[in-house]
Amino acid sequence: MPNQNGTIYGLTILSPIINDEKATPSHDLQIRSYLASMPVGEDSPFALAPGTHLARLVVMDDVVFVGAPSIEEHLQSKYLVFESNCDGDLDGYLSGLAAAAPQDLDAIWSHCVGYPGAARPQAFVDYMKACQIETTFFFAAVNNKSVPETLRALQTQRAVADFIASHQGMEPARLQAEFVHFATRLRSAPLPKPGSPASPRPIKTGGRNE
Amino acid sequence: MSKLNQTDIQGFVLRGYNLPYARYVFLHFEDASRARALIGRLLPVITTGQLWDNGKPRSTVNIAFTHRGLAALDLPEATLLSFPVEFLQGMKSRAGILGDTGVNAPEHWDRLWHANAVHAWLGINAQTPAALDARCSEIQALVQETGGAIELASQDAAAIMDEGKPTTREHFGYTDGFGNPDYLGVERSTQPGQGKLMPDGSWAPLATGELLLGYADEAGELPVAPIPHILASNGTFMVYRKLHQNLASFRAYLDEHAAIYGGGREKLAAKFVGRWRDGTPIELSPDGPDQAIVHDPNRNTNFTYGADSEGTRCPIGGHIRRVHPRDAFGFNGRLIDRRRITRRGLPYGPPLPENEPASDGDDRGIVFMALNASISRQFEFVQQQWIEYGNDAHQGNDKDMLMGNHGGKGKFVVQGDRSATNPPFLCNHLPNFVELRGGDYFFLPSITALGMIALGVVDPR
Repeated sequence: MPNQNGTIYGLTILSPIINDEKATPSHDLQIRSYLASMPVGEDSPFALAPGTHLARLVVMDDVVFVGAPSIEEHLQSKYLVFESNCDGDLDGYLSGLAAAAPQDLDAIWSHCVGYPGAARPQAFVDYMKACQIETTFFFAAVNNKSVPETLRALQTQRAVADFIASHQGMEPARLQAEFVHFATRLRSAPLPKPGSPASPRPIKTGGRNE
Repeated sequence: MSKLNQTDIQGFVLRGYNLPYARYVFLHFEDASRARALIGRLLPVITTGQLWDNGKPRSTVNIAFTHRGLAALDLPEATLLSFPVEFLQGMKSRAGILGDTGVNAPEHWDRLWHANAVHAWLGINAQTPAALDARCSEIQALVQETGGAIELASQDAAAIMDEGKPTTREHFGYTDGFGNPDYLGVERSTQPGQGKLMPDGSWAPLATGELLLGYADEAGELPVAPIPHILASNGTFMVYRKLHQNLASFRAYLDEHAAIYGGGREKLAAKFVGRWRDGTPIELSPDGPDQAIVHDPNRNTNFTYGADSEGTRCPIGGHIRRVHPRDAFGFNGRLIDRRRITRRGLPYGPPLPENEPASDGDDRGIVFMALNASISRQFEFVQQQWIEYGNDAHQGNDKDMLMGNHGGKGKFVVQGDRSATNPPFLCNHLPNFVELRGGDYFFLPSITALGMIALGVVDPR
């Protein structure tokens, strides 16, 4: 199944953007404007809804003519491109999005042709699937683990590193006792929120900073 | 391409001089025509890449300019605007993306850098302090005669001496300066491990355009360069960073952690860097230093990490493995061929023997200079992704143990095995062993370009 690699789904959706010469700003610009203001951390709709490893929303205006010898071609429409590496079954993932972030979805997709709104979950899922194209090839560096499993693994790695750092060289019996206590505490620790940084990084990377 | 025009390229670009004394003089231009006159007078003394058939000169002189400096020399606007954006902005403006924040932030730099007044860098290297002073006096006389510049400040640097002989050691005790890359057309004594790794395991020179403007780079493209072409060609960009070393913090950290590390103090120090302090690559000699390897040019830079993917010999986050990963990221090392830099520099401040008490406050460190065709693609990438971040090395948010801007919160993992003398070990609460005290981005022109600048004939049309 080309859209699926193990338990990870590679979703690609192309939604045609409404072409209305009278709209000011144009629908594609309104999408761009909304996307630029969307939160990217814990408050991102993709963090609030379950199952997203990585998602990307892009406005595709046209194919770019790069000069001869390539052939000049054009798309029939502008498209909103939605790509996501997500967990498991597609219907469940899409309904989860509709339930968790209906305002965001409507604010973005209401500029697309034929969008039914997130308030009608089944119509929303059907619409998204109608706009889906085959992904054929994708790479998700998550070792076939779900979002909660990945969050738990990162939390465990950090906690174990901290434990080792503060217990290196300890006498074995005490070390074992402390480890048992540590492991119990870790097991009951709440799962970190998706999109939450492990620690703040005082360096500008990515996006508009580069 | 067979051979470069060595007499048109500043010698500092083509070779490390291995001269033990240096002074870096920072100039400010007040008047463009007087400044150009000064450059014209300096031109005959600028050291080129011509081979030294009659032995090393007693001293060398090289020159480079900030973007502000080129503007103060009245280069045409169209030329000034054609420089790569990071050079146009200067290093201070790039602090955010370089991670030069906290104690490394520009407000903590030396006063010299506060006013954005540095227009030019003069690098004078010499065999003896007397030769250095003599050459600097000559230059000062030229500066005064022409009224071409104000000397804002100067930075002395010198090799650490051992029984009267210069060494390549730095203040933490590591032997430094191995393995600058080889480039096509640059004549120097090459050794395996210094270029790019080939699929058959041999090493080949990097494309000239990774170092010099006007030549094809590893992608077969010309590096982004100012116009006209002749201003850029045979020139390069230089990153100047004055790196203060907190010697007391380093020694205390090493002592404290060596006490609970099964491999002992020297092995832990070697794990930090990837070389034993005498320079032996830990990858080749995991159990102890070996002077035979250090002195063998066929071995001291000739190694890869492919057989040590777990990092049990050289830790995955060890300094030299981070900044020059060789084959560590797979694909026969091809992912790193556009991220190489040529390093120059010398320590500054008094050396301190191991048994004497150190203080972080002492003025001591290293003047680090990097030469590359693209500061953003080469130096800035290495600084941002490999020093201030660990993702490429699969080390998460961990920064370079030695160079990282840790702020007391850094972590470094020493991978190990089941043996008692090579156990896994974790270094936590890393302080800043090194602090940035200033610097900038410079353009190091060719001899032809210097002549054009001096004559005021740079023409972008």
